[in-house]
This record gives sequence, structure tokens and C-alpha cells, in this order.
Amino acid sequence: MTAKRMIVLVAAVALLGLGLAAVNGWAISLGDVLKVGGVALLVSQYDDQIDSFITSALGEREAAVKGATKVVPILSLGGGGYVGAAQVVGSPENVSRVKAVVQVEGRFGSGRAQVLVPTTVDKAAGTPDRAKGVGVSAVIEFRI
Amino acid sequence: MRRRLRVPIVMALGLLVALAAAAAFSSAEVSFRSAERDGARVAEVLIGERPVIVLRTSAAGYTPLERAEIVANRLRTAMASEIQVEDVKVGSVSSGQGIYIRDQLVVAVYEPEAEAHGATPAALAGLWRDNILLALGHEVPEESATPAVEPAPQEGAEATPGAQEAPAGGAAEEAAAAAEIEAEPEEVDWTGTAQKWVPIFSLELEGARVGMAQVAGPPDQIDQVKGVYQLRLDFKSIGRIYAYVPVSTISTKLNRVQGVSVWALADIKVLGF
Repeated sequence: MTAKRMIVLVAAVALLGLGLAAVNGWAISLGDVLKVGGVALLVSQYDDQIDSFITSALGEREAAVKGATKVVPILSLGGGGYVGAAQVVGSPENVSRVKAVVQVEGRFGSGRAQVLVPTTVDKAAGTPDRAKGVGVSAVIEFRI
Repeated sequence: MRRRLRVPIVMALGLLVALAAAAAFSSAEVSFRSAERDGARVAEVLIGERPVIVLRTSAAGYTPLERAEIVANRLRTAMASEIQVEDVKVGSVSSGQGIYIRDQLVVAVYEPEAEAHGATPAALAGLWRDNILLALGHEVPEESATPAVEPAPQEGAEATPGAQEAPAGGAAEEAAAAAEIEAEPEEVDWTGTAQKWVPIFSLELEGARVGMAQVAGPPDQIDQVKGVYQLRLDFKSIGRIYAYVPVSTISTKLNRVQGVSVWALADIKVLGF
């Protein structure tokens, strides 16, 4: 990943977090912004190492035969706010296009619902789009 | 008070929008899947939610599911532009019948596949053609209505057209089948990624939860998934780590199904520690 792409990615994740925080009326600080951007940067920088760690820990050893894996930043909303790394699994072509995962979760009493949306960027339109044929295998994330 | 209410309302609306978006993005117009019919494992090709072709036999070294993928690819290609009633025709191929969309062969129907359906190749080809037309929102022209050899398939029922690259045993048929298959691109087409809901069992620091999870992946892998185990460590003030393990059996042994991932889940707490 080039430095330019990395900066764009980190900025996009940080802006997304800021925007959603503003919509939901959350109180955010400079520390939160730095945490989101910093974690996204670290994940982008060490994605291969994190991927190898998760793969060996979970026994996803034959995944390459059936598809591909990759680690990307994840932003979780609705359950307090988390940012971290997610391992995505799916078709090699689509996995390579995934830039981030957005997770929306909600709690209802003792119930819980989560939707995981691996996201790519439509080059033509320049807009985020759901990456088809890709899902999430594992997540490591930190509270914002 | 108003502000207190606004946050959960916005969150709930956001969740609904996300669920709707996920459903919309996950729907493929043409798909294929493995299914069980009459106690036998078959492969279905679907347009929208409607099975239009059901393949029961292997052919030329390809399983029914692999053949379904080939047929689904052909349908996708044909559906890139709008299809009219007159575009979908039944015609002759070597030792059998074929369904053509414009001039492109979508599926050939040979004797073994027809026999497996209790029909003749012509009747089965006609039935599948009708299924395709109905799934595309057209009415079946009376003059081309399928002979009543096999009951007209209802939605989700026996509406199975099978792409029949299956050679009946003759060399000419085998050659025709091989040529048909070779005409298909070799690469795996993941746009037909299958998905289904399975039980999820979650073990966490706080307790155990059960619910349903939507898994996605290659159709033959998805077919093996019987459930998902979630292992989760939640450190309230720091962060959390969790992993989804799709398994082929619900037991104490983790028989992981490779290449499968999780899209969504909902669960409830059933046991607290």
C-alpha cells in the first residue's frame, strides 16, 4: 500500500467515525480522533502480520484454497464504538478490493444484533460500496 | 429526555438501514446452490428466489453443482441485456436438446438428466425454458407451452431445469459436453456466492449466547456449514477479541469449514457466568 493510499484510508476511517459521532450526538475528543486514525494506520501498516497471526491462531490454513484472507481496519458502531482490525475471507478478487469493515450493532435487553459490512470503494463513482462475496472471520478491536 | 430518546432512535434507524442495505447488496439476480430433493442431493440455478434449473446428474467430470455454476454464468451473461420471450428457445444439440438465449447455448439436456427427472430431453428443456421465462417476468406463450411430461414446477418446488452437459455415454455426446464446458471461463465465479442462516453458539467471559448467523462463501462450502461457534473475549474498558468458526458438525469438536465467513448475526444471552 502506498503512503498516499494509506493516508486516504486513515482519513476516510477517521472522517467516517467523526461523522457518525456527530450524527449520534456523541461527545468526541481529539484523543478519540487520534485513536481511530492511529489504530487504522497501524492496521494498514501491519496487516500481513496480523493476518498471519489470526490465520495461525484459528487454523484458517486452507483458506487460500477456498478463497483468500486479508486484514483491514474495522469500525464498530452502536455498541459503544470500537476500532481495530478485522480479518475478511472471501473471493480473492473481492478480498483484495476491501478497504475496511463497518460493523453496526445493537443491544436489546439480553439480545444483540450485528451486521458486518466489508466495504470497498467504487473507483468510477468514488463512493463506498459493499464488497460482495466477502465476510468477516475474526476481529480484534479497541474501545474508542 | 428528548435527547435521551434521540440517540436510541437514531441508532435503531441506522441499524434498520444497514440491515436493508446488507440484504440489498447480498441479493444476486442469478445464483446457484446445492439442495436436497426427494432425498437426493441436487444443484439448483435460481433467478431471483426462483429455482429455474435443477441438475441431478454429473457429467464430463463435473458435479451437478459445478455444472450449475457454469449455467449460472451463462445466464448472467445472457441477462446483461434485456431478454424477450422470443429470445429464449429450445433447439437441438448433438444427441439432445438445448436451451438457447439468442444464439448462446445456456444448457444442454441429454437423456440421463431427462431420465433422472422422469421426462424426455425435449420436455425437460421446455420446462426449464418456461421456468426461465416466468422468472424473468414473462408469460409462457401457449404455442410453446411445455408438454405435460413433468408437472409444471412451482416456485421452490420441482422447478428444476438441469443444465445437461452430461454425456449419455456416446462419444459424440461426451465431445459435445466437453466442448460446451470448455467454452466456459475456467475461473471461479464468486458472484454466485451462497449464503444461509445457521445457529450460532457464543462463548464469552460473561456467559453463553445462542442465536442465528448469516454465513457466506462458496456454495459447496456453505452446504457443509451446520453452525457457527463464536469465541469472544470482552474487556470492557479496553477492547474485545472475537472469532467466528463455521463448523460442519454441532459437537464439542471444532470441525471448521474453510473459506466461509459471517455477515450478520443476532443472539440472546442464555447463561451467565
